[in-house]
Amino acid sequence: MNIAISGLNNTDNPAPGIPVIKSLQDEHTLIGLSYDANEPGNFMGLCEKTYLMPYPSLGIQELKDRLIDIKEKSNIDAIIPNLDAELPLYIKYQEELENELDISLCLPSLENFELRNKNKLDTLSKTLNINHPKTFEISSIDELMECSKDLGFPLMVKGNYYKAYMSYNLDSAIDNFYKISNEWGFPVLVQEVVSGEELNLIGVADGKGELKGAVAIKKLTTTDIGKIWTGVTIQNDKLMNIAKDFVSNTKWKGPFELECIMSANGDIYLIEINPRFPAWVYFATEIGINLPKIVVDIMQGIDTPAQLEYPQNKLYVRYTGELVTDFTDLIKLLSTKEL
Amino acid sequence: MRPIDQLVLDENNVAFNPVVGNSYQVNDIAKEILIAIRHHKSKEDIINELTEKYDVSKEELFIDVSDFISKVKIYGLL
Repeated sequence: MNIAISGLNNTDNPAPGIPVIKSLQDEHTLIGLSYDANEPGNFMGLCEKTYLMPYPSLGIQELKDRLIDIKEKSNIDAIIPNLDAELPLYIKYQEELENELDISLCLPSLENFELRNKNKLDTLSKTLNINHPKTFEISSIDELMECSKDLGFPLMVKGNYYKAYMSYNLDSAIDNFYKISNEWGFPVLVQEVVSGEELNLIGVADGKGELKGAVAIKKLTTTDIGKIWTGVTIQNDKLMNIAKDFVSNTKWKGPFELECIMSANGDIYLIEINPRFPAWVYFATEIGINLPKIVVDIMQGIDTPAQLEYPQNKLYVRYTGELVTDFTDLIKLLSTKEL
Repeated sequence: MRPIDQLVLDENNVAFNPVVGNSYQVNDIAKEILIAIRHHKSKEDIINELTEKYDVSKEELFIDVSDFISKVKIYGLL
């Protein structure tokens, strides 16, 4: 298949595109979709061709026009979109893209996508009978003061889409409230702090209620901006069962990541559900669970047995690398929007 | 199953908890105590066994074994 993959940033804030490409490069022809000519993935030589894309904020017509152009040139059969900013567009118009452009996708329904919004996770958690930290949706300082009386300190001040800050007193909570609302708008979420071990699980589901593959890890070290640097595989049956329940109840389709905290008494709290692969997905591939390949199998209608068994105690280590290429590559990408 | 029963003890005296991904470095005697707890031996039995094996008073072992078991509980393994 000719598969287009987005998310080619590979800096200290890496996107999932490169690990997805590494997982699929042996069996498929891969085309990179980039939003920035400077993204390292544009020059790593992993894609047959790379195209610059219009920003998702420009809307569906711009996206469709660009994809029609790319399909003509590279005959793409499928797309794996990997970025939070573009996913709402791909999810909302997935049928249109599949039917009109004949491009396969493996994405959740819009209803499921919205179900895991941070301000709706409380409801979803109750439906699934999973613990979720007490969360308030606020849009004023008065409300912040009110809920801080209920929660006490420390508490988390979170954006509805991105960013979260721990606040140890009212002053820092107000400061963080403004930081978040200025950058990410309203509502702002204020959440109880649950202490324990932070665990992550990535999985792929088939849209019919079956979890087709999953790997759980614990992040051992992270960068200043919270990105994994080292991690270890774990075998946590409770977490795996939460993933299975989530998938069977929602009929989720495509990749997802569960961010959870396991408290000292063994209870698991669901903190966040990301509707995409994380950038450490190649860890799963390396230990025998090729989740991007499962996504491609689902797109092709190939029914494979669920892959939920993997070695525990495997260490993941991220590292930096360099490459040298011709400056003309960057100029060509900027001027022609393809490389 | 108790978390302590799931610990993976290796030849380097590292105990890995596969449920949450934590590792603990233990010494030979701590490893012996962990194994004894996994065999559901009581604190008294563990102390008696160690008294026979090592040249340490029962009183000293009582303090050390109690302290170790407390730590195991603090780490949520028991």
